[in-house]
Amino acid sequence: MAAPLTLLLVVAVTIRAALFRSSLADLIAERVEVVSPLNAWKRVVEGLALLDLGISPYSGDVFHETPLIIYLFHFLVDYAEITFMIADGITAVALYIAVKEYNKQVFRKQKYALEADRYPLDCLELIRSPKEMYYIPLKVAMFYLLNPFTILSCVAKSTCGLNNAVIALFILCTIKGSALLSAIFLALATYQSVYPLTLFAPALLYLLQRLYIPVNIRRPSFWWYTLQYAFMYLGSLFVIICLSFFLLGTWDFLPSVYGFILSVPDLTPNIGLFWYFFAEMFEHFRLFFLCVFQINVFFYTIPLSIKLKEHPVFLIFMQLAVISIFKSYPTVGDIALYLAFLPVWSHLYRFLRNVFLVSCVLLACSALFPVLWHLWIYAGSANSNFYYAITLLFNVAQILLVSDYFYAYLRREYHLTHGLYLKRKDGSEATLVLK
Amino acid sequence: RVTRKRSVDKAGQFFGSGHTNNWAVTCTSQFWFNYRHVANTLSVYRSVKRLGIPDSHIVLMLADDMACNHRNPKPATVFSHKNMELNVYGDDVEVDYRGYEVTVENFLRVLTGRLPPSTPRSKRLLSDDRSNILIYLTGHGGNGFLKFQDSEEISNVELADAFEQMWQKRRYNELLFIIDTCQGASMYERFYSPNLMALASSQVGEDSLSHQPDLAIGVHLMDRYTFYLLEFLEDIHPASTTNMNDLFKVCPKSQCVSTPGHRTDLFLRDPGSVLITDFFGSVRKVEITMETINLTSPVEQVEDKPVDGDLQRETHSYVDQLPVSEIIHQKPKQKDWHPPDGFILGLWTLILLVFFKTYGVKHLKHIF
Repeated sequence: MAAPLTLLLVVAVTIRAALFRSSLADLIAERVEVVSPLNAWKRVVEGLALLDLGISPYSGDVFHETPLIIYLFHFLVDYAEITFMIADGITAVALYIAVKEYNKQVFRKQKYALEADRYPLDCLELIRSPKEMYYIPLKVAMFYLLNPFTILSCVAKSTCGLNNAVIALFILCTIKGSALLSAIFLALATYQSVYPLTLFAPALLYLLQRLYIPVNIRRPSFWWYTLQYAFMYLGSLFVIICLSFFLLGTWDFLPSVYGFILSVPDLTPNIGLFWYFFAEMFEHFRLFFLCVFQINVFFYTIPLSIKLKEHPVFLIFMQLAVISIFKSYPTVGDIALYLAFLPVWSHLYRFLRNVFLVSCVLLACSALFPVLWHLWIYAGSANSNFYYAITLLFNVAQILLVSDYFYAYLRREYHLTHGLYLKRKDGSEATLVLK
Repeated sequence: RVTRKRSVDKAGQFFGSGHTNNWAVTCTSQFWFNYRHVANTLSVYRSVKRLGIPDSHIVLMLADDMACNHRNPKPATVFSHKNMELNVYGDDVEVDYRGYEVTVENFLRVLTGRLPPSTPRSKRLLSDDRSNILIYLTGHGGNGFLKFQDSEEISNVELADAFEQMWQKRRYNELLFIIDTCQGASMYERFYSPNLMALASSQVGEDSLSHQPDLAIGVHLMDRYTFYLLEFLEDIHPASTTNMNDLFKVCPKSQCVSTPGHRTDLFLRDPGSVLITDFFGSVRKVEITMETINLTSPVEQVEDKPVDGDLQRETHSYVDQLPVSEIIHQKPKQKDWHPPDGFILGLWTLILLVFFKTYGVKHLKHIF
């Protein structure tokens, strides 16, 4: 499978290089759907220029990236395009290897379950075979690399690509079972944008599952392992933050990066939900609604973890989706990451209910974003409500997509335990309702 | 400083009058029913611009609330003639003092030049002792005073004192003062500075009347005196030789109903020898010649310096107290920021540590 992957990488690099050389690169780099105040390339260059002039890049509201990005781009600013292409490549390869490993484990678990006769006889058509799972890793890499969202994000040189690379490496390390590396990459991802904190729970669940430690709060082994993992995670986070302090010698980056992400002072329109609300809000209620909106991102972790504690990789997918939808400054690059996972759940297709609706809405909204932006900002015949309506619709479509997959996954699990053709007590056909 | 015009010598004619012309025109009324005052002022402004005085030399003080007034049936226009033949408002009218800035204090400050240092050039009367100034005031007036913006007044004594200040500060060469209000002649009774000539539309005890109402706009468009003054000025072009005596004859009693007055006793030249364009126009007399002229010897002596070209250039340049040319042509040295060494060391140590922890220390011996 190395050859098709290499071919895919070559094709992806060609497309990106062609777009970099064309005049579209500048156009895309300005689009608010692709770049946000957090990850715009223009701001990185600005921050580096300020540093060259001897001023802290965090003075003023220009630069909201972490000091490690400063360090990285200090040496790589001339090779930025190659850097982002390599980041995309790393993400794709990491996802490829991760999904391959995951498939192996899925298949292994399935084999054990079959041997233990745990599946009812009529749901054998739901069993997955290696043949159908053979191309899934390649499809995942393809979904990531050839996704127009990813290509746009790469051409705009938004540091979202680097974020995605770190998260993909984290997923790879988690699935391979290396707790230390996974803790380090998670700390790196959290350090860059606060929200991957919620991925701590699925990673922990996965590692526990892999080491056959039962997830029971009464067991000491559970707590011991949790403590170890948390210690590694928090320790590496602390080390990274202290290291960033030594880069510039000040703690300026804490309010500039984390204060910015959490308190959302910049209300530039983007594809998220925060800007419109906070533009309309009275100052009196701002803190309250800020807390509500931010808690919304972290809130789904515990219930989802409880429900999906046997299926941590699906939980990772759900968490990534929740982060991309509800974070304070989302861009299309964040969406591309969780969309890359969809081939892994391709066996759920028969249970998905809203494929047509979701795909139509996503396509239509993606097309309408630039149109309504133009109408609002340039033609003056629309206003922010139009753009926000499309934003809302886009997010609703994403939520529908994620909840649809959730439903399909749970339904398949239910069928696997209770049989495919469900019958009521009197023998008539039963229907399954998600409550 | 007072020049005498030699009618025979052409060169004398060339340099006969003051060389720059600044003038201030003031309209002092606001509110819709004083439309005609604004139209008066703008028409005089237009004529003077036509005859050559540039906006930089005109200080126009208008309430400027006519063109965009809610009651104006033809917005963005101010007409000076019945049947809307001539729109004197437009986008080339530069009003320097508008609305609430038209006050007696500002007017007197403009005349005397005692303005705060932050005042822009367009709001200053930057005249010198070679300038001929034309001042045109119109509005409502009475015996010895003129109403500004219907809330304050300027008296003839104040005006006379302002002109005396101007004379003592050498701010004018010759000054022509025209006033079109009721009992306008009272305003120039108190002048006592030299080189002032004044014209008024009516004598003390008489009212200046308005010319013609326009039924579409609903107000009177012009005052009689200014109307006939403008008719007179229409025949003037930059090269005309009409003199002041003709100006005094403008608007006789038959047309104006009031008796226009004038005062020339403070003027040192004979009014008959003063051209209209000396005050209303900004005439630059230019004669093109094809012959070369040798500059007189004092200049040549300076040029006869040593042969070295550089030295010669230096003697004609200003003394460089600050080596500005060195500073501006030098590119600033870009000090590139580098991450501190401790940081790089720490980062790479950590990365190596993690690597060896993950993949086992046994790899170390393969590297070293």
